[in-house]
Amino acid sequence: MKKFALAFCLAASPALADFAPPITDPVTLKACGECHMAFQPSFLPARSWDKMMANPADHFGDNATMAPDKAAQIRKVLMDGAADTNGGRMGSKVMKRQAAGATPLRITETAWFQRKHDLPERVWKRPGVVTKSNCVACHPAAEKGIYEDD
Amino acid sequence: MSPKLEFTLLRLWHAALAGGFVVAYVTADEDTYRMHVFAGYWVLGALASRLLLALAGSEAGPLRLRRPSLSFGKPGRNPLFAWMAALLLPALALGAVSGIIADGIPKAEDLHEGLAQAGLWLVIAHAATIAWIFQGRRIREFLSGAALIAAVLAAGPAQAGDPARDAILAAYAKEAGQPFSAARGEALYRSKNTASPDFASCATCHTNDPAARGQHAKTGRVIEPVAVSANPKRFTDAAKVEERFTRDCQTVLGRACSALEKGDYVTFLAAK
Repeated sequence: MKKFALAFCLAASPALADFAPPITDPVTLKACGECHMAFQPSFLPARSWDKMMANPADHFGDNATMAPDKAAQIRKVLMDGAADTNGGRMGSKVMKRQAAGATPLRITETAWFQRKHDLPERVWKRPGVVTKSNCVACHPAAEKGIYEDD
Repeated sequence: MSPKLEFTLLRLWHAALAGGFVVAYVTADEDTYRMHVFAGYWVLGALASRLLLALAGSEAGPLRLRRPSLSFGKPGRNPLFAWMAALLLPALALGAVSGIIADGIPKAEDLHEGLAQAGLWLVIAHAATIAWIFQGRRIREFLSGAALIAAVLAAGPAQAGDPARDAILAAYAKEAGQPFSAARGEALYRSKNTASPDFASCATCHTNDPAARGQHAKTGRVIEPVAVSANPKRFTDAAKVEERFTRDCQTVLGRACSALEKGDYVTFLAAK
């Protein structure tokens, strides 16, 4: 019986989702989450977040201007939880695939993301997806840091 | 078919099948024989309809019946789903068909009972596997959603005026030096501009109906309604209102908004 239970657990374990610790700071959560999902900081190295938060007025071509003290707080939260600082298991997975010293600004351009999302073009064309950065379109619990495959 | 509709159909189908199975199981005695036969045919009908649903389902949707594979760990639906369907559907069908045979040939009754009993255990194993895969997440999501709806209902209808919003409007009024107009605010909201090809108008993201939910044109993020009637919290946080005007006026209009324009805009959406 024990053997059977073990086999069962092994068979079902891939079902356990990838987990990235979500942001807890309310200011950061609200500011990021206003225009897009508040992506978990463990998806990028600290230097990436540092560079991104240096100029919110040009945020991937969009204007994300905010009060300087607010920007500084968010910058700290993101850098503290980054892939190479406190990003946990998810962070080390991201860093392992990253070229040393690279500063990716988009999570979707990291080697880790691309490896996990080698999907046919039609999947990205599904209604409601809009862009590859719209995690919740396919991972309903992404905001809580849970990325299950179904 | 939208994924939401597919999941709803899948749930309804589970209810139909499970209902038929339970009725058949508890009416197996001789004195409820007719009900038992009816429930048995019901189960068989439900199983057949599952095949039709699979044909109607979209390519990667939950209604599709895929060939079971050993591709654990790859993106896509958990392969256990395919294995469960491949095991359960024929097993339950065998149980139902053996019932029809036993109706004509009483000798087959033992076989039918055995198959039905095995089917029950498979169903229990199926439920346990699902519970393992989701580990209560779906249930917790459902409960937190229900709690949210209850909280909204308990809060009652939105208040017409809000002191924080009135204060924001009063500050803009002092700066503008003239009364606001909801009509001008609406014209601004609907105006088409050329500063940004992605964001031509407020309505690009907030939609033509400000009381409806919008969607960020680039990120796909859902935007809660901007009209106060549909979202009473709008325009009650002065810092946030200023931050949004700073960004969005620059993006959509290519310039900063005047106090008069801000006041008009808020006046329009507060009345909307």
